Amino acid sequence: MSVKAFKLVSAVEREMLMGDKNHINIECIECCGKNLYIGTNDCFIYHFMLDEKVSTSGKITFAATKQLHKYLGFKKPVSELKAASALTRLLVLCDNTITLVNMMNLEPVPSGARIKGAVTFTLNENPVSGDPFCVEVCIISVKRRTIQMFMVFEDRVQIVKEVVTPEQPCAVAVDGYYLCLALTTQYIILNYNTGISQDLFPYCSDEKRPIVKRIGRQEFLLAGPGGLGMFATVDGISQRAPVHWSENVIGAALCFPYVVALDEEFITVHSMLDQQQKQTLPFKEGHILQDFEGKVIVATNKGVYILVPLPLEKQIQDLLASHRVEEALVLAKGARRNIPKEKFQVMYKRILQQAGFIQFAQLQFLEAKELFRSGQLDVRELISLYPFLLPTSSSFIRSHPPLHEYADLNQLTQGDQEKMIKCKQFLMSYLNEVRSTEVANGYKEDIDTALLKLYAEANHESLLDLLVSENFCLLTDSAAWLEKHKKYFALGLLYHYNGQDAAALQLWVQIVDGDIEDSTRSDLYEYVVDFLTFCSDQDLVWKYSEWVLQKNEEVGVQIFTKRPLEEQEKNNMNPDDVISCLNKYPKARIKYLEHLVLERKIEKEKYHTHLAALYLEAILQLKSGTTDNCMETIELLLKLRSLLQKSDLYRIHFILDKIRGTDLHMESAILYGKLEEHEKALHILVHELKDFRAAEEYCIWNSENRDLQYRRRLFHMLLSVYLNPDSSDCALVMAAVDLLNNHAAEFDAALVLQLVPDSWSVQLLSPFLAGAVRQSIHTKRMTQVALGLAQAENLIYKYEKVKHKGAPILLSDKKVCQVCQNPFCEPAFVRYPNGGVVHTHCAANRHQNSNVTPHSSSSSSET
Amino acid sequence: MKKPDGKVVLLGDMNVGKTSLLHRYMERRFQDTVSTVGGAFYLKQWGPYNISIWDTAGREQFHGLGSMYCRGAAAVILTYDVNSLQSLVELEDKFLALTDSASADCIFAIVGNKVDLSDDCASPPDENRPEKAVAGCSSKVRKQVRVEDAIALYKKILKYKMLDEKDVPAAEKMCFETSAKTGYKVDYLFETVFDMVVPIIVRQKAEGPPQTVDITDYKPAKRTKSGCCA
Repeated sequence: MSVKAFKLVSAVEREMLMGDKNHINIECIECCGKNLYIGTNDCFIYHFMLDEKVSTSGKITFAATKQLHKYLGFKKPVSELKAASALTRLLVLCDNTITLVNMMNLEPVPSGARIKGAVTFTLNENPVSGDPFCVEVCIISVKRRTIQMFMVFEDRVQIVKEVVTPEQPCAVAVDGYYLCLALTTQYIILNYNTGISQDLFPYCSDEKRPIVKRIGRQEFLLAGPGGLGMFATVDGISQRAPVHWSENVIGAALCFPYVVALDEEFITVHSMLDQQQKQTLPFKEGHILQDFEGKVIVATNKGVYILVPLPLEKQIQDLLASHRVEEALVLAKGARRNIPKEKFQVMYKRILQQAGFIQFAQLQFLEAKELFRSGQLDVRELISLYPFLLPTSSSFIRSHPPLHEYADLNQLTQGDQEKMIKCKQFLMSYLNEVRSTEVANGYKEDIDTALLKLYAEANHESLLDLLVSENFCLLTDSAAWLEKHKKYFALGLLYHYNGQDAAALQLWVQIVDGDIEDSTRSDLYEYVVDFLTFCSDQDLVWKYSEWVLQKNEEVGVQIFTKRPLEEQEKNNMNPDDVISCLNKYPKARIKYLEHLVLERKIEKEKYHTHLAALYLEAILQLKSGTTDNCMETIELLLKLRSLLQKSDLYRIHFILDKIRGTDLHMESAILYGKLEEHEKALHILVHELKDFRAAEEYCIWNSENRDLQYRRRLFHMLLSVYLNPDSSDCALVMAAVDLLNNHAAEFDAALVLQLVPDSWSVQLLSPFLAGAVRQSIHTKRMTQVALGLAQAENLIYKYEKVKHKGAPILLSDKKVCQVCQNPFCEPAFVRYPNGGVVHTHCAANRHQNSNVTPHSSSSSSET
Repeated sequence: MKKPDGKVVLLGDMNVGKTSLLHRYMERRFQDTVSTVGGAFYLKQWGPYNISIWDTAGREQFHGLGSMYCRGAAAVILTYDVNSLQSLVELEDKFLALTDSASADCIFAIVGNKVDLSDDCASPPDENRPEKAVAGCSSKVRKQVRVEDAIALYKKILKYKMLDEKDVPAAEKMCFETSAKTGYKVDYLFETVFDMVVPIIVRQKAEGPPQTVDITDYKPAKRTKSGCCA
């Protein structure tokens, strides 16, 4: 409770009205612009001019100057006064009669126009006639249960409508055609145009005086049971929750967003926005409370006072100062319609921000975040609360007047570490959220640097994510901070992001070597290798290549072998340089050559021979070694074989020289094969290795992509090796038989039969023979078919030729070439089978351009 | 202030927990409330619509206001206390008549609140610790109102409104038992009601005459010659 929404200021003191005549009481008041009218119980009307004065301290006072007073000439009190400024008339209700008097001199109109028989009356503030020089007056008549509507002009009155109500009305308010009536037992809404009425709610007018007050377009405020101020629209529904007054309310007035009510001892102020009571002003013996064009006037029997509203901004600031955020925001939102749009937006944003800081100080982070967001807070306001977070170069100055009362976080948390950590966590998540939104525009550096500092301090894993993605961290500030918190790996990333790869590498190498300590990455060495692999600065790669290879040559060689493709295309790194650099690191060297030969497929004899020689060397070394590195040897052997088979570039004789005298028979066989010395190769395979399967495979892969004859020659050679009369190894004979039977198609049967020993039975070779015979017959028949088809085709051509030669073709000047549309100048021409005649050169062009089948044209020349 | 598209009204005897139910739903909390004076309302955004939810005062003094609150309502949530048979009886005796002013296609929900206080609530006491459960039972009271009673009331309401059971949601669907204290089925209650209110809003928008005055309709009256400066 207790907002200071209004201030009570005296307007007319009792001396000015009645002096010491105690029997005189104020009956009614009316205020219109600066004119204040007071009606008394002794039938006088007083007219004052009301002047508002604002002192230098902002204090508002009113000075009332009496203009004149007039006695109406009855013994009755003046019960009601209403001004109609458009007509310069004052409507005076006295002795059940409404008279029209001039607003300025209080003289009755000469025509003597009046409304008789009125108990009470009210003006329609939402008139239906549309005539600006007419006011609509609604009276409760002295006739029972009767309401009358009048049109009042400058000097005449006219009755418009008389309505009979179901019960005796005791109070009325009007809006358009709608009457809101307090009847004896209930409130109703009555449309006097259509006669349709709508019950609102029951109310006992005997117990308490009803209040019916129009508070805006189509809405009324009513005194309800239990001291409720009920809102009701002309549709008979309530759109606002009721306010809770005391039981004995005398009057109510509206001054948005407040409902002011008067009872015997207090003036109470409720907000229409949240229905809460906001202010209570002690005020005894009050009996009139009315609002006139936004001015709330309250009166006792003897004096008149004005309730001066305090500026909304001041009220809101007071609420914020007492940390009543919700109420302040409700009030600010409610004030929207009373303040120009631009001004409101600026004010409202500021209030949101202030409210955000209040919630923030109470560690209500969710609420604070929402307020900061909707208030479009300059994030630096928040960052600046945290010591040392803003970069030293930041030009930020806190807004003035300040949005909050805190110097920094230490003051806000009063040194409570736990709170401090919570605040920092909040800032982290908040900055992370806003850094990519438009809120960050213009001070991304400040935000990212602050975020980096927070992450580094809290040892937060997102530090690295921040540094490897797009960021605006300021180098000097961030570097110093990272160093302070020993985040060397991150510092390296920062250097890298700022294009200082050399500095980054230096740091990382130091970490790997253990010169400085940072356990961020356990695989930092691999990281550095990877980094160098993709590093475009080759000087740096060369600089750290030694270090990398020394650590682990097999992993380290990646800096040469896995370089990005686009760089390979430009071929910036000379392979010879790399190889000479790798001379000390044999494993790395092999890997690099493999990369050159197998991956990049560089067709240079040098590398192929070198790689083969290196394989060979390694194999021989392993073989001579005492330890049994079987797996490794086999792997190398397979690699060597594959290279020897697939590559045609290496120097065969050079390798052959090296291999001679070793037990690498398979490899020698491959080399002989490369030299086309198949007999030697097969000899080795059959006699040295006794690997018949390998021999067969040798024949197959050596004849790959060659013609059938070549393959047959190879197989035949193998057969000859098997059947070498010098050896009579049974196994070889068996191999020969198998070879023949399994690969019947690879042999020329006639030649085989010459070679096969006579002693072999037909049985033994039956699969081969059957295959060979079938093959032979198949070939014969296929040839016959082909021959027949060719003869048939030939016949067709012959027939066509004869047909075309049958009729003469006439060529004249009138005939034009179908292609170029020019006449023929020489006797040679081309005639298409469809009869078209063209130049020979046109036909030639056309043949080039389109794929007309050649046989469809025939050329002939005739004179 | 946004103009609400539809209205839901909570009715029921005093002290059955209307304010607590609404508070639990809107603020996600349970706290001791004081007796509601007059009424209070909340705005709830439900899809594209704003639904106003009116919390009424249960005290007899304010019953007269109920009819105004119910005017044009799309849904009425009649609330009783499962531990007080009287509170269910009151719904029929005193509150049903107040709903006469509600929209013709208004839907009704009957809600028994405070199930956390009775022993046979839907979430049985911890079976693993029998001795504790017995001790717990002693503090709990026997539930006085069964769901069947609420369903019977629902059917009576339909008769009173002269509605056919086939045209309205089934009784079993519209009788709820909740606990504002534990939050038991509170969201379910309001969300079920809101989902049913939306088609009513759509229908009202489609056919209902505009409830606001169209100011563009205004035809300026002819100026009279009697004007002073004419």
